[in-house]
Amino acid sequence: MEFKTSDGRREIDAHRDGSSFIHEGVIVHTGQELWMEIDGRKHKVTATKIGDVWWVHVLGHTLQYEVIEAGAVSSDDDSGLLAPMPGKILDVLVEVGQTVSAGEALMIMEAMKMEHKIVAGNDGVVETIHYKTGDQVAQGAELLSLSD
Amino acid sequence: MLKRTLVANRGEIACRILRACREAGIEGVAIHAANDSGTLFTELADIAIQLTGEGLAETYLNQNQILEIAIENGCDSIHPGFGFLSERADFAQAVMDAGLIWVGPSPEAITKMGDKMTARITMKKAGVPVIPGEEVDGGIEEVLAVAPSVGYPLLLKATAGGGGKGMRAVHKEEDLESEAKAAMREALNAFGDDRVYVERLLTGSRHIEIQVLADKYGRTIHLGERECSVQRRHQKVFEESPSVALDAELREAMGEAACAAARAVDYEGAGTVEFLVTPTGDFFFLEMNTRIQVEHPVTEMVTGVDLVREQLRIAGGERMSCGDLNMRGHAIEVRLYAEDPANNFLPAIGQLKRFVAPTGPGVRLDTGVREGDAVTPDYDPMLAKLIVWAPSRNEALQRMGRALDEFVVLGCTTNIRFLRELCDNPDVVDGWTTTDMIERLWPDGWSPEMSGLIADAGLLIATACESTNHGKVRISTGGDMSIASPFSMINRRFP
Repeated sequence: MEFKTSDGRREIDAHRDGSSFIHEGVIVHTGQELWMEIDGRKHKVTATKIGDVWWVHVLGHTLQYEVIEAGAVSSDDDSGLLAPMPGKILDVLVEVGQTVSAGEALMIMEAMKMEHKIVAGNDGVVETIHYKTGDQVAQGAELLSLSD
Repeated sequence: MLKRTLVANRGEIACRILRACREAGIEGVAIHAANDSGTLFTELADIAIQLTGEGLAETYLNQNQILEIAIENGCDSIHPGFGFLSERADFAQAVMDAGLIWVGPSPEAITKMGDKMTARITMKKAGVPVIPGEEVDGGIEEVLAVAPSVGYPLLLKATAGGGGKGMRAVHKEEDLESEAKAAMREALNAFGDDRVYVERLLTGSRHIEIQVLADKYGRTIHLGERECSVQRRHQKVFEESPSVALDAELREAMGEAACAAARAVDYEGAGTVEFLVTPTGDFFFLEMNTRIQVEHPVTEMVTGVDLVREQLRIAGGERMSCGDLNMRGHAIEVRLYAEDPANNFLPAIGQLKRFVAPTGPGVRLDTGVREGDAVTPDYDPMLAKLIVWAPSRNEALQRMGRALDEFVVLGCTTNIRFLRELCDNPDVVDGWTTTDMIERLWPDGWSPEMSGLIADAGLLIATACESTNHGKVRISTGGDMSIASPFSMINRRFP
């Protein structure tokens, strides 16, 4: 079983024994309540699935694991720049055809009354700009695209 | 005494004030935008009235509509909370002109302190030390002109500002123009006023503020300090009282300066005088917040004074009820934000599918949200304030760590883990908290410290949950869980 996490695709070799799952010294007991056992000590665990993502709270850490359907291809490599949250475009700092370098600010947007810079993730040329100053954008909207 | 108070705010602080009203025997009236229907604060009110319109300007900032609701519903007073209309002198004046009581200082005091330049000038006159800097009245050209005389690094601040908005640190001259434009734009959006002023940035300083209370009978007192040095993007995240940097002598000197500042504007009610304290123990007036503050609970925990009750009492024309300052133990507050600390503290949204707050001795939670609520981009991303009290600072840090470990929030990214790491951070433990510490400790951004064991455990849990469809299948408890007869339990004793 494979998951997408903040540090890439991960899977773990788990041995199943009834409703318990074991990996090296760690045992997870499932049922109505979730428990984790390490060295004979039990720790309460909370988990809930939202969309395709398992949100897990364990020992003070909150972690996310997105379920990857078998055979699915990762879509991480698209070169579009997405709005990190809903908000308003305050300023477009580049033009189509302009060469930009990684880290360069491309747009400024406002969300939750704070300004955020949209910066280029890599060197490239601005291919398209989808919004103009004053536009409202939804979370995940592609703001502009860069070619390599 | 007040009889019916309209709370012109929402969320966590509206809950705080409405609860104080209930305790004081005052009827509480809540106002709420349509998208706040059914949230916690509307339920804590005796009467909840929905505002018409959309967006802040038509709802929580709509002075006329709020005033009309207050009058129609027979309110005798309005409590503005913090943010929104709390520091709007014109609103305070309109409330008073309508014959209602404004729970806060006079419009004159708000004006003198709200305009940061006037405040600087007033404080200089009152003999309160201010930060070296230049008041600027004109636009961008004047900012560029005075910057060299102030020197770098410098801080641009919105004249009408607060809450970190319209505030920019500039370390190099070449960044000045773009940062000044950004600060002015942010200030214009947030406050409708794009004036900024230029101040020397005192690096390595602490942000320490003094709580004051003043009643209508000429009594002005201070309630000790709060240290709020741990900030990200000029917004406080970790606040405590007392400060390790103050001894009794410095506390008394700063307390006296704070009272002098309050007296200089004939202050009434609860207020906070903010100071920067340099490593050498010099202190400078930053600003006075003419309202209740987000971090007021830490003062309440160490002094035993209920600040919101005192506000209501003072506004109602009574004397404040607290006696001489008597600080006891140590209190810490952390602000839980819906934000991603591993991604430059960017605000986050989502639904709080699980929201299980810590409890136990010395733990207080001030929040306006509940499990199931949606976190939207419409309002401030602060979800809750978690406050602990313990006999000593060390025990308070341990208690905060324990409480944060217990705190479960699933469905919306929060800064809980970041706050948890702060509790163990050597600089925090040793009390070396300064306003630039987050940038100093994590110059390339913060990412969680996580052992391989936790990473593996998380993956194993996700695998186990996905394999068993955890939470989707409810196991029936069967038929033999019938309610026990009360008579069968009659002789039960607690051990």
